[in-house]
Amino acid sequence: MAIARTSTFAGEPVAEGQGWLGELVTALRRNPLGVASAGIIVLLALTATFADVVAPYDPLAPQPEIRLSAPSRAHPFGTDDIGRDVLSRVIYGSRISLWVGLLAVGIGTIVGMLIGLVSGYWEGRLDMMLQRVMDAVQAIPGLLLALAIVSVLRPSTTNAMIAIAIVIIPGNSRIVRGAVLSAKQNRYVEAAQAMGCRHLRIIVRHILPNVTAPILIIASIWFGNAILIEASLSFLGVGTQPPEPSWGLMLSTTGRAFFEQAPWLAVFPGLAISLAVLGFNLFGDTLRDAWDPKLRRSG
Amino acid sequence: MYKYVLRRLLLAVPVLLLSSLIVFGLMRVMPGDALTALMAESGNVGEKELAKLRRDLQLDRPYVEQYALWLWQMVSFRPGDSIFTGEPIATSLKKSIPVTLELATLALILGLVIAVPIGILSATRQNTPADYAGRVVAVSGLSLPDFWLGTLVITFAAIWFRWIPSIGYVSFWESPTRNLQQFLLPAAVLGFRLSAATMRMTRSTVLEVLREDYVRTARAKGLEGRIVVYKHALKNALIPVVTIVGGQLGTLLAGTVIVETIFALPGMGRLTVEAILFRDYPVVQTNVMLVAGALVSLNLMVDLMYAWLDPRIRYH
Repeated sequence: MAIARTSTFAGEPVAEGQGWLGELVTALRRNPLGVASAGIIVLLALTATFADVVAPYDPLAPQPEIRLSAPSRAHPFGTDDIGRDVLSRVIYGSRISLWVGLLAVGIGTIVGMLIGLVSGYWEGRLDMMLQRVMDAVQAIPGLLLALAIVSVLRPSTTNAMIAIAIVIIPGNSRIVRGAVLSAKQNRYVEAAQAMGCRHLRIIVRHILPNVTAPILIIASIWFGNAILIEASLSFLGVGTQPPEPSWGLMLSTTGRAFFEQAPWLAVFPGLAISLAVLGFNLFGDTLRDAWDPKLRRSG
Repeated sequence: MYKYVLRRLLLAVPVLLLSSLIVFGLMRVMPGDALTALMAESGNVGEKELAKLRRDLQLDRPYVEQYALWLWQMVSFRPGDSIFTGEPIATSLKKSIPVTLELATLALILGLVIAVPIGILSATRQNTPADYAGRVVAVSGLSLPDFWLGTLVITFAAIWFRWIPSIGYVSFWESPTRNLQQFLLPAAVLGFRLSAATMRMTRSTVLEVLREDYVRTARAKGLEGRIVVYKHALKNALIPVVTIVGGQLGTLLAGTVIVETIFALPGMGRLTVEAILFRDYPVVQTNVMLVAGALVSLNLMVDLMYAWLDPRIRYH
């Protein structure tokens, strides 16, 4: 049974026995959509990990004799213009999406966090300079910036990932900076500074724990966005390149070209993208409900 | 107020200069610059022609000089010519900006028309089936990629209604009906995506405002529920909604890139994507900078709108 919250102060550590995980479990119990979103994410992770076991066919093997065949028992999602099994391609596509999401959000979060920590902790001129650079990057819409970066680096999955990471950095740095600025107001940080603790120790022991919740919330929401941007880039032809089965690429190449004869080619990859993004968005909402007391009431 | 506007304008200058440096830098990092791509396109181009082209495009000058020249071109509204088509960029922008503006405005209007009423309905009927339905619409708007929605709309419009997006663009002044036929579906796709966040924000702020004391007072003196919501609650509830809409202008502009590509609308988004694919760097850097400039000024306008909406806010 979950232990009830006893602390009422926003931002203070919660009652003993109910750490972050405890709060998350409580939030999940209250919110069936949260459980569903966690389920979607687990399902996606399992599908991506065991793609070679789950996929009924080779995603790259063409079978021209059954090209553009409608969904059937043998091919539940139908086949594409050169007879590749769409279900297997969608399953393998989850690997690309999750991989890009994981690395892009990982890099974007770590770099954004470092910049935010430095900016918020030391403030002053360095802070102002770093934040102006972040403003400048943010002034360019994410997708356009990613497009420009990918075109410079040449289109590929890895470069799409790097571009997405760069798009993520400014927003993250700003959120971390805000959290650091408010964490610095805590008495224990002042006390640690007065005792002459080294900066690194103060940051790691006293500030970082305050910053982790907002980072995880925003990372979860960015994960969905990263999948979306990768799919958009691939859709526009500058992300993952054929014949790799990326969801966005499947939509743009076969999905659009054969939409009148074979609408399933447009339906299933899009459904996969939507489901994945939905899962991460809802999970981000659940995390926020669990960890951000200010937003809990407004739901 | 004037001081605030002036300070914000002055702050925008270094941000835009930095953005221009980033864009300029990016374009110069291109491995194998635009000319190599051009050579591959047109077959055999000799060293002599290449050198002449470099000179014509001023690619042989030092970077600082190229940057200064580009800045001057941008400021004086003469952004040079496209490498590929040879057309002056100003001319192609003159054709494409109205398309994007119309698409974005229509999408914004449609987005608000979808979002605000559903958000209010969701909040005033909290935890009823109407609320759940509204929230599902909102979350799906956030999760359905616009390029998928666009593809599906085209697919099923073609299968069911035999409707195919027309190739040639017709301006509103030429034929309003044909123009709207072209724009309504893409704007709806884009507007639906925008409506999601606005809807969620409207719902949560209306919920919050409905719990305020002055709303309770209004109710206590016997005002009808509808008047309480529309006359007392809504104005305050809409202030954060303006923030959300302002924050989404970037998404809106990025969305036009995708939607224009899918629906074959000759707007700025499509122009930029094509320029990126062809490595037509003068066009790319000009367009990206224009978008950044538009975004910075729009955000300033959004900030100023708060003061108009909420007299409690004063700028210093």
